[in-house]
Amino acid sequence: MRSPHEVLIKPLVTEKTTDLMQENKYIFKVHPKANKIEIKNAVEVIFDVNVIEVRTMNMPGKLKRQGRSVGYTSNWKKAIITLEPGQRLPIFEE
Amino acid sequence: MKVTVAEVSKNRVELTIEVPEEKFEESLEKAYRIVVKKINVPGFRKGKAPRIVVENMYGREIFMEEALQDAIPKAYEQALEEVKDKYTAVSSPEYEMVQIDKKKPFVFKATFDTKPEVKLGQYKGLEVEKIATEVKDEDIDAEIEKMRQRYAKLIVIEDEEACEGDFLTIDFVGKIAGEPFEGGTGENYSLELGSHTFIPGFEEQLLGVKVGETKDVVVTFPDEYQVEELAEKEAVFTVTVKEVKRKELAPLDDEFAKDVSEFATLQELRQDIANKLKKTAENKAEYELRKAVTKKAAENAEVEIPESMIENRLNQMINDVAFRLNQQGIPFEKYLELTNNKIDDLREMYRPEAEALVKADIVLEKIAQEEDIQATAEEVDEEIKKLAEKYQQETDKIHEVLEKQGQIPSIEFGIMLDKTVDFIIEQANLK
Repeated sequence: MRSPHEVLIKPLVTEKTTDLMQENKYIFKVHPKANKIEIKNAVEVIFDVNVIEVRTMNMPGKLKRQGRSVGYTSNWKKAIITLEPGQRLPIFEE
Repeated sequence: MKVTVAEVSKNRVELTIEVPEEKFEESLEKAYRIVVKKINVPGFRKGKAPRIVVENMYGREIFMEEALQDAIPKAYEQALEEVKDKYTAVSSPEYEMVQIDKKKPFVFKATFDTKPEVKLGQYKGLEVEKIATEVKDEDIDAEIEKMRQRYAKLIVIEDEEACEGDFLTIDFVGKIAGEPFEGGTGENYSLELGSHTFIPGFEEQLLGVKVGETKDVVVTFPDEYQVEELAEKEAVFTVTVKEVKRKELAPLDDEFAKDVSEFATLQELRQDIANKLKKTAENKAEYELRKAVTKKAAENAEVEIPESMIENRLNQMINDVAFRLNQQGIPFEKYLELTNNKIDDLREMYRPEAEALVKADIVLEKIAQEEDIQATAEEVDEEIKKLAEKYQQETDKIHEVLEKQGQIPSIEFGIMLDKTVDFIIEQANLK
């Protein structure tokens, strides 16, 4: 069993994700091996909120070049978490 | 908004201004909109990052400069409005931040010089000397003589000897010890006898020549001649006179009047000149009178003028000078170089004048207040009309421009001062 802080790596803050917050959806980068149930529990434990839905996707690493050496960045998992209406995550609050 | 007033020293006031949090928040919001366009936040296109994201990343300080620029002048103006019965600012304020914390009102201090208290002295019944505006006959004669000179005709003289004031057309060949030298020859040169354009002695020796005559003129170059090799040398110029012309003044009669003016008779011309001279004299007398009474009134009053007011006036004057020089095509720096003055010397030179002007303005303003002299709307319109004529623009247009630039109050101020001077003159004892 992974600890909640191991599951949630960091929130993604981009133009798109800030727009999605209007729909009470929050986007996280999560542990690539974490499943939806783990993610749901982690969010509920850390932020003390109720999660309605978790959708995940695997993001392939990008091809990077450094001179003549070629490699990939790590693959990672992205999770879209929908909260119960009225609840919010304190991502921007200090 | 809360304003507390403290007098720091004479004519200097410190305002502590408290801007409510919500008000300051507006300024911050404005600042955010400006700043966000310039900064990069990963995950967002330029200018698209929400304020909270920017704040988390760079801190609130990033908005401060812009926010203060927005908030301070507004608050300062409002504060001035509140204390305007007691104080009028005459210098730009110095600011000091007291509190710019989050979730708290924004507090800052503004310190500035105030318009000094004026203790008026006597300004009614001032004794001033009247300046004569009569036009003397000699002045008119002199004026007419000038016209005659200007309209004189050049008559070719055939047989007479040339005398002082004549115009000669000459060819000349100059030699030093039998050798021609550079610049020593000329053809068809027009020379006025007695104009001293040539080496001393040259013109004098040509007195009495006639057309067609050839004469050797012997002169010695002066010690300090521009061309060094020639100085103190003796030269012989062979001069051939090709033409002698003489200025002929027209006889003073109606014919002359007709030629030089639109008047039919000499009498009328004289009258016209007399009128014009009188007008100039009157204008000048009026100007002198205004200057004199203003000076007297100012001298009688007691004011402690803040340094900054004099400084401002000085700056204005120096700018004026620089501007005028520039218009004449002389850059200000160059002028300073040429006259070997430093800008500080110049300031020192203009200082007394600046001080007097500032004092006069303050005193006149106070008198206007005392006597309830104000510029009326019609007078302002009148003034604008005059301006419009001067710049050949439509009156409405000028009005609009002035209003946009906020110049109307200064026009009003000018009219008010003028009227005040009028008032003082009215009350004055003219001798």
